[in-house]
Amino acid sequence: MMLVLVLTGTGLFMVASAGEVWGQFNYENPFYFVERQAFFAAAGLVVMAVISYVDYRIWRNLSSVLLVLAFLLLVAVLIPGIGMVRNGSQSWIGFGSLSFQPSELMKIVLIFYLSALLAERKKVIHLFWKGLFKPLLVLGIAFALIMMQPDLGTAAVMGGTAFLLLFVAGAPIRFFVLTGVSAIGGLALLIISAPYRMKRITAYLDPWSDPLGSGFQIIQSLYAVGPGGLFGYGYGESRQKYYYLPEPQTDFIFAIWAEETGFIGAVFIMILFFLLIWRGIHIASRIEDAFGVLLVCGITAMISLQSFINLGVVTGLLPVTGVTLPFLSYGGSSLTMTLASAGIVLSVSRSTV
Amino acid sequence: MRVRMFWLLAASLIAFTALIVRTGYIQLSLGSELTEKAEQLWGRSIPSQPERGIIKDRNGTILAGNKSAPTVYVIPAQIEDAKTAARKLAAILNEKESVIYERMIKRSSIERLSSKGRNISTETARKITELQLKGVWIGEDSVRDYVLKERLAHVLGFTGADNQGLAGLEAYYDKKLAGISGSVQMFTDAKGEKMPGLSDEYVPPKDGMDLQLTIDSKVQSIIERELDFAEKTYKPDGAMAIAMDPNSGAILAMSSRPSYNPGAFREYDPDVYNRNLPVWSTFEPGSTFKIITLAAALEEKKVNLDQDHFHDPGHVEVNGSRLRCWKREGHGHQSFLEVVENSCNPGFVELGSRLGEKTLFQYIRKFGFGQKTGIDLYGEGMGILFTEESAGPVEAATAAFGQGVAVTPIQQVTAVSAAVNGGTLYRPFIAMNWTDPKTGKITTENKPKKVRRVISEETSSEVRRALESVVAKGTGRNAFVEGFRVGGKTGTAQKAKDGRYLENNHIVSFIGVAPSNDPKVVIYTAIDNPKGTVQFGGTVAAPIVGKMMGDVLPILGVKPQKGQIEKEKTWNDPDIIEVPDLIGLNKKELKEQLINVDIEIEGSGETVVSQSPSAGVKAERGSKVRVLLK
Repeated sequence: MMLVLVLTGTGLFMVASAGEVWGQFNYENPFYFVERQAFFAAAGLVVMAVISYVDYRIWRNLSSVLLVLAFLLLVAVLIPGIGMVRNGSQSWIGFGSLSFQPSELMKIVLIFYLSALLAERKKVIHLFWKGLFKPLLVLGIAFALIMMQPDLGTAAVMGGTAFLLLFVAGAPIRFFVLTGVSAIGGLALLIISAPYRMKRITAYLDPWSDPLGSGFQIIQSLYAVGPGGLFGYGYGESRQKYYYLPEPQTDFIFAIWAEETGFIGAVFIMILFFLLIWRGIHIASRIEDAFGVLLVCGITAMISLQSFINLGVVTGLLPVTGVTLPFLSYGGSSLTMTLASAGIVLSVSRSTV
Repeated sequence: MRVRMFWLLAASLIAFTALIVRTGYIQLSLGSELTEKAEQLWGRSIPSQPERGIIKDRNGTILAGNKSAPTVYVIPAQIEDAKTAARKLAAILNEKESVIYERMIKRSSIERLSSKGRNISTETARKITELQLKGVWIGEDSVRDYVLKERLAHVLGFTGADNQGLAGLEAYYDKKLAGISGSVQMFTDAKGEKMPGLSDEYVPPKDGMDLQLTIDSKVQSIIERELDFAEKTYKPDGAMAIAMDPNSGAILAMSSRPSYNPGAFREYDPDVYNRNLPVWSTFEPGSTFKIITLAAALEEKKVNLDQDHFHDPGHVEVNGSRLRCWKREGHGHQSFLEVVENSCNPGFVELGSRLGEKTLFQYIRKFGFGQKTGIDLYGEGMGILFTEESAGPVEAATAAFGQGVAVTPIQQVTAVSAAVNGGTLYRPFIAMNWTDPKTGKITTENKPKKVRRVISEETSSEVRRALESVVAKGTGRNAFVEGFRVGGKTGTAQKAKDGRYLENNHIVSFIGVAPSNDPKVVIYTAIDNPKGTVQFGGTVAAPIVGKMMGDVLPILGVKPQKGQIEKEKTWNDPDIIEVPDLIGLNKKELKEQLINVDIEIEGSGETVVSQSPSAGVKAERGSKVRVLLK
């Protein structure tokens, strides 16, 4: 609980600084982003509080219905006229002035659904057809729909979360080994069939090979992180946020943070995230109910994967995917959903007391 | 489930540790490098040029200075109507409109209109100012001012459009002369606006260091004057001269012809300004090289100049090859001092064979031949020597009188300096010291550098006596200067092209040393293919060096003294000779007679059938003899 508040609060500070320049430029209001983020944070915290008092078992009962709804929205977003294109991906649905991403909904709903399904099938999880086939099928369809937007980042987070759930649920190790081997095999086939893909993969390892193209964001991100040094330029003193770094208030917010607060600040955030994961698993380990365990693990896995991918991108460890940093990045639906899922974890935690 | 959750926790711990390590690596290890790159990205810098260091001679006379040169700059962002502005500017600057237009629309912070917009007259500058074009500025740049024009041009070299050294000392010492350019650095955001909260950084330029040379401009002007005279009189293919202080290797003067004006180098053939002949050209030295053989033989105690005698029949056999003396009938019976005075080839072959090929070539190398002297100028030649394996008795015999080896003038001057200065080989140098332009204090000083001891003090003294004798009594008589003890040696070398000797095409040279008892200067002059004269060093080059010595020595503070070896007034003074018998000679043998007479060839045979005037007639040395070949 405290962790969530600290993270969200820090996020507001980050958005305030990182969004200042673009806010001034686009909306003539340096506080444009932070005002909106504060509103979403407040709304999200209320949602979180409310949800934390709701019996978490309701999500098991609602999971099928929600899944159908999420699928419908995912299909709808692909229909021109309904879905909106932002940054080259058709992933937004708007209601008046508000808009949100159905894929955000799908991420959480899939956790409900898989938790429910896998809790039921605990005994047959080692069998492929009886145990694993159905969850994989649902995952596959959702994955494909999100990839059609296309939104590799969200799809990856969702897929990763689902596999972690399968792992915790007790799917046999050989299944993961098999999946891993076939994934590597498939990748190898793709590379052999079209060698340019190899370049794509190596491009992010050496962003300077194409500084204005694929390497641009990574380089600009490193130009922010690197000069930060041990203590950073000081809060609000970022230089890269002056139009050099794209999306300083969303995907690359951590780069600005690292620039302004240095290694100390960066490690502080990373430790917070790790503590959050530790808390999540700690909560899960105290519960008897299999659905509750999987639910908490799934949400924890989702948040940790998302944060790990985002931080990996910012520090140049992973290729650019467009994943936001939970709690910290600017973005209404993302923040609200994250806080709501935190509420669910809290409600599970509450039920054991 | 618990176990698996534990694994999950462990995995995330590893993942976050990796992230922290990576972030630490970027921020703490790569940090400064990334900051540097990022600052380049943020910064827009306007350069501010340093003043190039001034080049002075050893007395402080300016040889290359700077003069103010108004230069046109455009700041593209401030240009309003590039087309019109370009047209108006083009008209005044006499430049293509398109060239200027391109600069005006270039995406850069500031552009200098090089070549035509550089170093413009104040009149032109005024006209441009009157146009009141937005974004067009007149900047006060400076360009090199080569006050000596064609004098010393090859040594000084020149700078290009951006004041960068391109040739000569300007290139060799470019870094130190150029200084470090400063800048005004502004931090801007990605849209080019000034970034708030960051102040401009001004880095002042650091002016180049002033360079003082070992060159004495008074000595230089005498050298130049004499080369001017030689150019006018003999219309040679080229000419060169070096004056060196033998006791340090300091170059006092150096000149090369044809010359050029460094301020307008573009108007000349690159071969003219790229070839600093005294260090670049490599050719057979001829008899000046005999000094080396002499010094070696004396050092090895293979000869006593006064007591040992030698009979020259006009040729000598070495391993079946017949090597001729330049004087066909031979010099007859002579002491070895006379051998030197007469520059008798068989006599030197004898010295060479007494030394043995191995020892002779050892000395040649010890005197610095076959390798660069290390003078602070680019483009120095190495010369060509026989390799140790290929140097047999014949090679040693020809090398002993200066044939079959190729050397540079600077090598000869350096080697002869060592032979007369008491035996020490110095590395020649031109840069004497560097001074700070602001304080005028000397920051670095180039000390003379001893390379090695080659011969003993006694040997050196004996060499000096022999050389003075050459000037007083022998082939170098034309270099005699009353009151100054000038020593020296003539040289006449046939030029070779594509492995064959050219006909009637010699490089005539003279190397002079004075005063003989305590040498203060060594002057070398070579004239390449002089026209309208006997191509003989003693006739062409010796009087030039004599005149140079006569004027240079007083400048160096040398007082006339008594007790010099008196000039011998003998059988050919004035130079009257008997016309030699040329009948029956072949072409090659004819060439050897060129030392005495100028030969005009008629017909196209191999051997001489008749000559006019006939043999035995008294005539002035160098007069024309017509021969008919059949």
